[in-house]
Amino acid sequence: MGDASDMHANATGERRERALRQRRANVRVALILAAIAVLFFVGAIIARYMGGLETGMSILGLAGVVLMVVAITRNVRDR
Amino acid sequence: MSSVPHDHVAGHGHDDAHGYHPKGIMRWITTTNHKDIGTLYLWFSFTMFLIGGTMAMTIRAELFEPGMQIVDPEFFNSLTTLHGLIMIFGAIMPAAVGFANWMIPMMIGAPDMAFARMNNWSFWLLPFAAMLLVGSLFAPGGGAAGGWTMYPPLSIQMGMGMDMTIFAIHIMGASSIMGSINIITTILNMRAPGMTMMKLPLFCWAWLITAYMLIAVMPVLAGAVTMLLTDRHFGTSFFNAAGGGDPVLFQHVFWFFGHPEVYILILPAFGIISEIIPTFSRKPLFGYASMVYALSAIAILSFLVWAHHMFTTGLPTAGLLFFMYATMLIAVPTGVKVFNWVATMWRGSITFEAPMLFALGFLFLFTIGGFTGLVLAIVPVDVQLQDTYYVVAHFHYVMVAGSLFAFFGGIYYWIPKWTGTMYDERLGKLHFWSSLIAFNVAFFPMHFLGLAGMPRRIPDYSQQFTDWNQVSSIGAFWFGASQLIFLYAVLKCIAGKGAKAPAKPWEGGTTLEWTLPSPAPYHTFETPPVIK
Repeated sequence: MGDASDMHANATGERRERALRQRRANVRVALILAAIAVLFFVGAIIARYMGGLETGMSILGLAGVVLMVVAITRNVRDR
Repeated sequence: MSSVPHDHVAGHGHDDAHGYHPKGIMRWITTTNHKDIGTLYLWFSFTMFLIGGTMAMTIRAELFEPGMQIVDPEFFNSLTTLHGLIMIFGAIMPAAVGFANWMIPMMIGAPDMAFARMNNWSFWLLPFAAMLLVGSLFAPGGGAAGGWTMYPPLSIQMGMGMDMTIFAIHIMGASSIMGSINIITTILNMRAPGMTMMKLPLFCWAWLITAYMLIAVMPVLAGAVTMLLTDRHFGTSFFNAAGGGDPVLFQHVFWFFGHPEVYILILPAFGIISEIIPTFSRKPLFGYASMVYALSAIAILSFLVWAHHMFTTGLPTAGLLFFMYATMLIAVPTGVKVFNWVATMWRGSITFEAPMLFALGFLFLFTIGGFTGLVLAIVPVDVQLQDTYYVVAHFHYVMVAGSLFAFFGGIYYWIPKWTGTMYDERLGKLHFWSSLIAFNVAFFPMHFLGLAGMPRRIPDYSQQFTDWNQVSSIGAFWFGASQLIFLYAVLKCIAGKGAKAPAKPWEGGTTLEWTLPSPAPYHTFETPPVIK
C-alpha cells in the first residue's frame, strides 16, 4: 500500500517537474521572440531618427539575422 | 500527414480537475481554453467581415452610376480606407488566428496553447481596437481617409479619426505579436512525443512561418505609425517634407510590413488547402518536404520585394530591376505549391464536398490572382496600371478568392469536429457556387476597368466605365447576399440541426484531431499521445 502511494507521489512530482520545465522553456522562447519584436520596432524608428541608412540597416539586419538564427536553430535541434 | 497516434482520446480523466466553468458571458470573457478563444476569434472575424462588407456594398452602390449618389466624397474615402483596414486586420487575420487556436493544439497533440492567459488577452484587445477603428468614422473631421496604406502627407493632415486609427493599429499589432509568440512557442515546445518537425501537419508549418513573419513585420508597422503620430503631434518631421522629412520613406517602411503582410494573410490559407486537398483526394500530400521549403522560400522572398508597390515613386533603374525580378522569383515556390496540390489530386479518389469545392475554387482563382500579380511585377506595365482598378481586381483575387475561400473551406472541413454536427451539404455547395460566380461577376470586370484606365479610390468616374461598374456592383451585392447562406449553414450546425458527426467524418483525414470524438471535448490531449 505504502509503495503504491509512494509511486503515485513520485509520478505526480515528476509530472509537476516536467510541467515546470516546459513552462520555463516556453517563457524562454517567448522572451527571445519578444526581444526580436522590440528590436524591429526600435530599428524602424532609429533608422529614421539617426538619419543614417547604415544605422537603420544594421539594426534591422541584426534583428533579421537573430530571427533567422532563432527560427532555424531551434527547428534543427528539435528534429 | 500520416502520423498514427498511439493513444487515441488521451487523458480526459482530468476534466474534473478543471470542473469550474463560468457560465454565460463570463465564460467567454475569462476563458483560457484554446477552443473557446478560437471560437471568439472566428465570430469576431465574421462580425468584422460583415461590417467591412457593408462598407464594400456602400462603395459599390455609390459606384453603380457615375456622379455622386449616396455618400459624399470624404466619407467615400473613409469607407475605402476602413474597408481595407477592417478586412485585413479585423476579418482575415483574426480568422486565421481563430483557426490556429482551434486546430494547432489538436493537431500537434497539445492540451492547449503555451500561454493560455496571454491568449485570452490577445483576443480581448481586438474588440477595443475594432471599436476605435469603426468609431473613427464618427470623430470630428471624419475617419481616416488616405487609404489603408495611410501615406503621408494626407495622413499627417487628417483629423482625430487618424489618431484613433493609429492607436487601433498599435493595439491590433500588439495582439498579433502576442498571438504569434504563443503559436511559435506552442508548436516548438508542446508537440506530442514523436511529432517531429517534418511530421507536423502542413497547416501548423504554414502558421509557424506566418507567426515568424508577424514577429518581424508588425513592429515595423508599429514603428511607422508611431513616427506618423509623432509627426502629427510632437513636432517631429520623419515624413513631413516641410520639416525636412521624406514622405516616400514612409512608403518604404510601410511596404516592408505590407508585402510580407500579404503572405501573412495567404500562408495560413495555403495550410488549410494543404489539409483539405489530400483528405478529399484520399492520398497523402504530394511533396511534403518541398511544400515546407516552398513556404519558407515564399516567406523569405516576401521581405525582399516591398518596393514593387512603389515603381512610380522614382526608384533608380537598378532598384526597379531588382524588385521586378525578385517579385517574379516568388512565382517559383508558389508554382511548386500549386503543382504539388494538383499532383496530390492526380489519380486520387476525389469527392467534391463543400471543403473540396472551396479548395478547388481557391486553386483556380488564386492562380488567376497570382498571374495578375506577375503582370503587375513588370515595371513598364505597372507604371501604366498603378492605382487603377486592375490592382483592385488583383488583390481581391488573392485576398477574397485566396484567403477567404480557403477559410470557408476550412470551416466546412472542421465544423463537424467543432460542433459535433455535419453541415448541410446542399447549403455548403449552394454557398460555394453562388460565391464563386458572384465573386467573378464582381471582380473580373475590374481588370477591364483597370486596363481602360479607371483609377481606384474615386467616388465618381467617366461615363465610359459605367457598364462594367454596374456589372461589378451587381456581383458584389450577390456575393454579399451569398454569405447569408454561409451564416445559415453555420448556425444550423451550432444548433445541432443536422446529422451527428462521427469522430472522423472524412475518410481521408489523417491528422490527430480526427482521433478525438466530435464535438471535440473541452479538454483534449492532457496526456500527450505518442506518435509513431
